[in-house]
Amino acid sequence: MKTLTSREDWPLGVECAWPATMHAAPAQAIVRDRTDPLAHRWQLWLASIALAFGVWQFGQGSYIQAKAWLAQVLIKQAWARTLDGKAQARPWPWADTWPVARITVPDRGIVRYVLAGANGRSIAFGPGHVFGTPLPGDAGNSVIGAHRDTHFAFLRELHPGEEIVVQKSAATIRRYRVEDSEIVDKRETRVMAQHGGEPRLTLITCYPFDALRAGGPLRYVVSAKAI
Amino acid sequence: MNTALRHSRERGNPGIKSNPWIPASAGMTSQARSRLVVVDIIAYVVLAFSIGLATAVSLAGVVLLLAQEAQAAEFVPMQPAQAQQGTLLLKAKGETLAVPAVATDAEIRVSGIVARAVVKQTYRNPYDAWFEGIYVFPLPENAAVDHLRMKIGERVIEGDIKERQAARAQYEQAKSSGQRAALVEQERPNMFTTSVANIPPHGEITVEIEYQQTLRFDAQGYSLRFPMVVGPRYIPGTPTEGRGHGWAPNTDQVPDAAHITPPVLHPDQHAPSNPVRLKVVLDAGVPLARVDSTYHPITQRETEGGGRIVELAAGEVPANKDFELKWTPVASHAPSAALFTEQSGDKHYALLMVMPPAKEVAAARLPREVIFVIDTSGSMSGSSIAQAKEALALAVSRLDERDSFNVIEFNSYAKALYPDARPASVAHRNNAVSWVRRLQAQGGTEMALALNLALNGRENPGRVRQVIFLTDGAVGNEDGLFKLIQDKLGDSRLFTVGIGSAPNSHFMMKAAQSGRGTFIYIGKIEEVKEKMGALFTKLESPVLKGIEIAWPDGSHAETWPQRVPDLYLGEPIVVSAALDKLEGDLRITGLRGEVHERPWQATLPLDEARTGRGMGVLWARAKIASLVDSLRDGAKEDEVREAVVNVALVHHLVSKYTSLIAVDKTPVRPVDATLKSGAVPTNLPEGWEFEKVFGELPQGATDSRWNLLVGFLALLLAGGLFRTSRRTPIAFGRG
Repeated sequence: MKTLTSREDWPLGVECAWPATMHAAPAQAIVRDRTDPLAHRWQLWLASIALAFGVWQFGQGSYIQAKAWLAQVLIKQAWARTLDGKAQARPWPWADTWPVARITVPDRGIVRYVLAGANGRSIAFGPGHVFGTPLPGDAGNSVIGAHRDTHFAFLRELHPGEEIVVQKSAATIRRYRVEDSEIVDKRETRVMAQHGGEPRLTLITCYPFDALRAGGPLRYVVSAKAI
Repeated sequence: MNTALRHSRERGNPGIKSNPWIPASAGMTSQARSRLVVVDIIAYVVLAFSIGLATAVSLAGVVLLLAQEAQAAEFVPMQPAQAQQGTLLLKAKGETLAVPAVATDAEIRVSGIVARAVVKQTYRNPYDAWFEGIYVFPLPENAAVDHLRMKIGERVIEGDIKERQAARAQYEQAKSSGQRAALVEQERPNMFTTSVANIPPHGEITVEIEYQQTLRFDAQGYSLRFPMVVGPRYIPGTPTEGRGHGWAPNTDQVPDAAHITPPVLHPDQHAPSNPVRLKVVLDAGVPLARVDSTYHPITQRETEGGGRIVELAAGEVPANKDFELKWTPVASHAPSAALFTEQSGDKHYALLMVMPPAKEVAAARLPREVIFVIDTSGSMSGSSIAQAKEALALAVSRLDERDSFNVIEFNSYAKALYPDARPASVAHRNNAVSWVRRLQAQGGTEMALALNLALNGRENPGRVRQVIFLTDGAVGNEDGLFKLIQDKLGDSRLFTVGIGSAPNSHFMMKAAQSGRGTFIYIGKIEEVKEKMGALFTKLESPVLKGIEIAWPDGSHAETWPQRVPDLYLGEPIVVSAALDKLEGDLRITGLRGEVHERPWQATLPLDEARTGRGMGVLWARAKIASLVDSLRDGAKEDEVREAVVNVALVHHLVSKYTSLIAVDKTPVRPVDATLKSGAVPTNLPEGWEFEKVFGELPQGATDSRWNLLVGFLALLLAGGLFRTSRRTPIAFGRG
């Protein structure tokens, strides 16, 4: 039995504190019976609810992040199969989306696999290509959307002049240069407009980047032009 | 879990007091104790965090590795090398909507199986500038547009028929020299553009267009459709040079995209525009059992001759959906055959209608393979997809155990429920229905992908293969699709079900014709049951095929269409013919039966024909349609153009290659006044969702940070509460 006084003891303390609280409980219980059992019980309930809620919320938050991260690994494998010539290689058997391109920002070491469709279901796993716009790498304005707190968090750092490389197939690689970025209302579909056949890339995510909650009306739009 | 454990101990072992930490802590300094408290809280949080993280990661793993929803469905990858790059394109912002407004006033006169309509479009210019108005509008898919009149005040200028380029050149010339002019061009058989030049400031010009059509009818009765709006079309293909007044650039697959994509008003930001008044004068020629409007409330009053006059109850409605009027003759007067003729010079033009009797005995039938194709593109979003899903679910559940089936959905991509058709067992049907219920409408309309998946060009001896295609037909590349259907049909049959408030009637009719099937419309959810029931009855009954029409010798009949299509139960034979003389008997023969074919024949004396107006126009329209169809069979465009122009000029008809033009001789616009131009914006068809058609910026955020923060705070709170709940009794104990 020793007293925790020195700094070196802390790691042990952290480890051991856990069972300690449980063992401590019966002792408390007896004492509590004599004092204010009802208030104590409420406190415990409240604590448990807060714990459960906290675990749930924390789990939810981490789950979103974990899913975004883990899925890119599987999508990477599917992309490899796509490059081998398989059409619509699904990252997991029941997926309703598949990689259509790989975008990289070489200077920042960023690699993202773009999925077909920019609906909520697919962009949980990766940046999504907006249906109805040309595929990334093709002629026309190709629009890609992703979450600001996962795959497109890097947009915040992206400056005009930086290079984005799009791989469309084993043989097709197209380079783009970031022209500008702007903040628009979500109804401003003009950023998705086509300007003839000039190959462009429009990357869209939510704004502001630091907002805690989803669902705001603003979008951060980075546009790039093929070099 | 902690609490539960604690409680059980409370009850089970109330006497246990020995705890190694209590005596130790009793000997601590208060500083050390408070540090312990902090450590404890941190430990709680760390544990909770690890649990949370572990749960999250394992959940993610589980989700990725096991089914997130028990998915018995297997998805078939689409054919390779068909990555799509269609364009749902938008014009850049800042485009002014300051263009003339158009009010439409239509009067349709129905006599028997023919309707003649006068559509009056009034272009009002509320601005101080001179304007050109360009209005893209729909008409029935078999409309024979044969008159144009431009009205300026009291003056009426009659339009001329010209070759398309010549008419366009004359119009441009008039426009630039300040003359008032009106031009009507055909973009699709059911889509036209009126251009009106030099509308004076605060002035108006009225353009009157006349057309004639044969009505559609079957055993259930007659129907007249008057479309009011061209729904925004999906434009597949790669953009090419050239832009017009539309929101889409031309593409390799839709070279005239810029002409068929008028600007569309956002229903949330603009009141509905383009008001329409409508009057139908109904002289059915037989006593009527009932007259109903399917989508608009109407008022009707009976005329002396037993006909009806129908008007919109609201007086005026926005041009945002089809108008449909249906009427049923009293049972004993249901027509079985009719022949209308019109003499023009030494030619007799005839319109022949024969209703084969319904087959009484249930014939032996072959097993069926039914392929359902459902359009889940953005334009279907809203009420259309609800109707389509309902119709499909109903159709699937009606299948017989002997039959087999599959379901294909398509938007920017196409996918099939099963790799091959599966027997229509209860399990497969249920699976299909729940799969269909989960479909969402979004993205493009890459119809070719779906058709390639549905049609294999094969023969299927011993069974009947039927493809049922549910769509709004909102595409710009119709011709390419018809060709595809024709080429890959094999012995399958394709049936179109036009969904929604403004289906593309030209697509429905021609796709069904190319697919040797038939078509129906469903415009509201209440219609699904009745319409699908009727379609299924047709699908389950043998067709009348190999229909031959023998005109009397010496009549030198030129009949259009030349080959009478197969007929489904309750459908009539309708052909137009040009004859030298009206004598003798007409004989029609055909074959009916699926397993055992039985001959059918009917005879009709030509001298019993009644005279009707405009039979020549209908004949010319049928001939033009057949000539244009021949392009898909490889006919040379130059030859077809020449033949069409010849017929169209004689009969004063607007066609792919001919336009109507009216020019006022006197220039009105001062030389120094500029002319502004603009396409009249159209309404979004009722029940459609603007963002789903024109796209919306993706939503790019999750609640993960919020979750993490809230979770962290809750864990902190839990830690604190546990801590204090433990400390309190200790304090008491020591006291």
